[in-house]
Amino acid sequence: MNALPGFLHKILPDTFKDSINFGLHRRSYSQFRLLLFLVMIAIAMGPVIMTAGLGYYNYKDLLQKEERGQLEARLTGSSHAIEALIDSLKSVVVFVARKNRYVELTTGKNLEELFARIKRQYEYFADLGVINQSGIQQTYWGPYDLEGTDYSKEEWFKEVIDKGVYISHVYTGYRHVPHFAIAVANHDPTTKKTWVLRATIDAVTLQNFVNTIKTNASDDLFLVDDAGYLQTSSENYGQNLTQLVADIKPGLQQGVSKEGENIFYAKGKIKNTPWSVILVEKRYVHHQDWVTFRSRLLIIVIACLVINLLVVYGLVTMLTNLIRKADEMQLTMLQEAEHTDKLASIGRLAAGVGHEINNPLAIINQKTGLAEDLILISPDFEHKKAIEGCLKVIDQSVERCKAITHRLLGFARRADVHDEVLQVNDVIKEVMQFLENSLMHSRIRLELQLQEDLPLITSDHLQLQQIFLNIINNAIDAIGKDGLVNIMTHLVAGEVRVVIQDNGSGIDSEILPHIFEPFFTTKETGKGTGLGLSITYGLVKKLGGDITVRSHVGQGTAFTITLPIHSEEHDNN
Amino acid sequence: MTTIERNNLKVLIADDEVEFASTIVTRLNLRKFAATMANSGKEALAAIEQDPPDVLLLDLKMPDLDGLEVLASLKENHPGLAVIILTGHGSFEAGRQGMELGAFDYIMKPVDLNLLISKIEDAFQSKGKQSEKTDGKSAV
Repeated sequence: MNALPGFLHKILPDTFKDSINFGLHRRSYSQFRLLLFLVMIAIAMGPVIMTAGLGYYNYKDLLQKEERGQLEARLTGSSHAIEALIDSLKSVVVFVARKNRYVELTTGKNLEELFARIKRQYEYFADLGVINQSGIQQTYWGPYDLEGTDYSKEEWFKEVIDKGVYISHVYTGYRHVPHFAIAVANHDPTTKKTWVLRATIDAVTLQNFVNTIKTNASDDLFLVDDAGYLQTSSENYGQNLTQLVADIKPGLQQGVSKEGENIFYAKGKIKNTPWSVILVEKRYVHHQDWVTFRSRLLIIVIACLVINLLVVYGLVTMLTNLIRKADEMQLTMLQEAEHTDKLASIGRLAAGVGHEINNPLAIINQKTGLAEDLILISPDFEHKKAIEGCLKVIDQSVERCKAITHRLLGFARRADVHDEVLQVNDVIKEVMQFLENSLMHSRIRLELQLQEDLPLITSDHLQLQQIFLNIINNAIDAIGKDGLVNIMTHLVAGEVRVVIQDNGSGIDSEILPHIFEPFFTTKETGKGTGLGLSITYGLVKKLGGDITVRSHVGQGTAFTITLPIHSEEHDNN
Repeated sequence: MTTIERNNLKVLIADDEVEFASTIVTRLNLRKFAATMANSGKEALAAIEQDPPDVLLLDLKMPDLDGLEVLASLKENHPGLAVIILTGHGSFEAGRQGMELGAFDYIMKPVDLNLLISKIEDAFQSKGKQSEKTDGKSAV
């Protein structure tokens, strides 16, 4: 924001400087406009976008946190459920393996009967065996003949002796059917020996349970053992008893699925088992909420942007136009002031020069006259005629100079305006009387369209005559022979307007701006002084009026003189 | 020029431009006027005191007393004197100002001698009429 005022400062004065140097640069305005537009859009849209962005990330964060929380809860829930299942299975085995049943279970058909009873309630129990302290299976009931098998070297046997309870990971064993074993060790009080009851359970029970909790939990849920083998089948991570390829660490973890979707992994150890539960969930369960939120946010931001664009565009256009208009007005005033100033200073110079030359000219004039007088009263002498001729030419030249100096001196007239109440139409008619002869001579037709009820104005009679005379003479000169001069008067906006129009040769658009400048003439040398129009201009200004010109080459020229009705506005200079 | 017969009208030319004034004097005298010149306002007033002319040609721009000041002084002391303003300003305004101060007429430099002479004669004649008028008035 700090750079803005500096930049504006840089731009604005340049614009003004340019306009002072005559020539409003359209480009600087469009640059200014663009800059203003961008700045205002930035100011208007910045907070909107910031707020929207903040909302976007906050909401996203909130959703993720919520999702994480839900996942954690689910993980815990799943772990607990599986734990409960295992506990219930375990409790069956523990119940069966009460301390003092060793003898009972190792004799007769008691084990067989027990198994039958258990099987009625828990169909997934596959076999049941009793193992003595030295690891020899004493009795066994199941599909294989495993009586007498020595388990003393097995890791699990050592563990069950050690810890009292053992739950195996899932394995296929002899049956090539996935199952797992629960073994419970007990100290028999009668034999004073430790014995072990080992039950094998079909892993389908685990799979079924996992399937049940999965359906209402998440996208994928399965068990792995500590070595990383799948204990139940997964939808995306392989069948049971295969090695889990994905690297999933305990706790919550974000990752990317094979399909490139964002997913959450959650892994939690199930207490007292060799298993961990793994939950896999696609992120954004609240996807619908998120999409709705995002699209609403987008709509709001776009709506803001569109409204801002329209409003700012309108404002900037209005502002730029205002500035441009103000500049143009200022420029016009400057140009007018400069023009007036130029005319005035050239006028002063001209008047000064005219005055200085006028006196010597008067002397030349008189001396020539005296010489002529003297020659007239002298008797004939050699070259008398030639000298007389020379003096005549000097006289003529003096006359020409006189015409110029008198006009030059016209600039110096600091005369007061002699106001009187007059009718512009009458002044025009008087002037036309002076010009009747030259109009007839040049076969120029005159059309007068004078508004009859034109109000009287307060102005200077003689100077008005001079003004009309100059302009009409100009028109006659422009026509040459055969043409039309049209003079119109009317009242416009409280001012009297006189339009003098000819169908003469017209003025080239290149020289049109210069026609009020002193010494500017298109007439051949000696025919015009180039002062008529500039004197006219000065007179009109002195009377508080204005003069403008329109012209088309080949079609003619129209001068419009506007005069105030009251004379207060007289320029006293 | 050949038939110029003047009644020895006394004409005083007051102009600081000596060459101009002297030439006019010479040319008027050639035409049987009794012309003299004064080269400043004060000189002119002194000359008028000594020998009042019939007609005074008065330049407006002079170094000590300008034409309008001379006119103002004459209005008091010599109200009947016929004055023609000579102006180098090329404007009617100075002439008009002079005429408001009692001058009979004005003529712009460079001067056409024939025009000047006719104005001198007119001025002289009108002065005669005017003095008759004033005489008549005073008689009433």
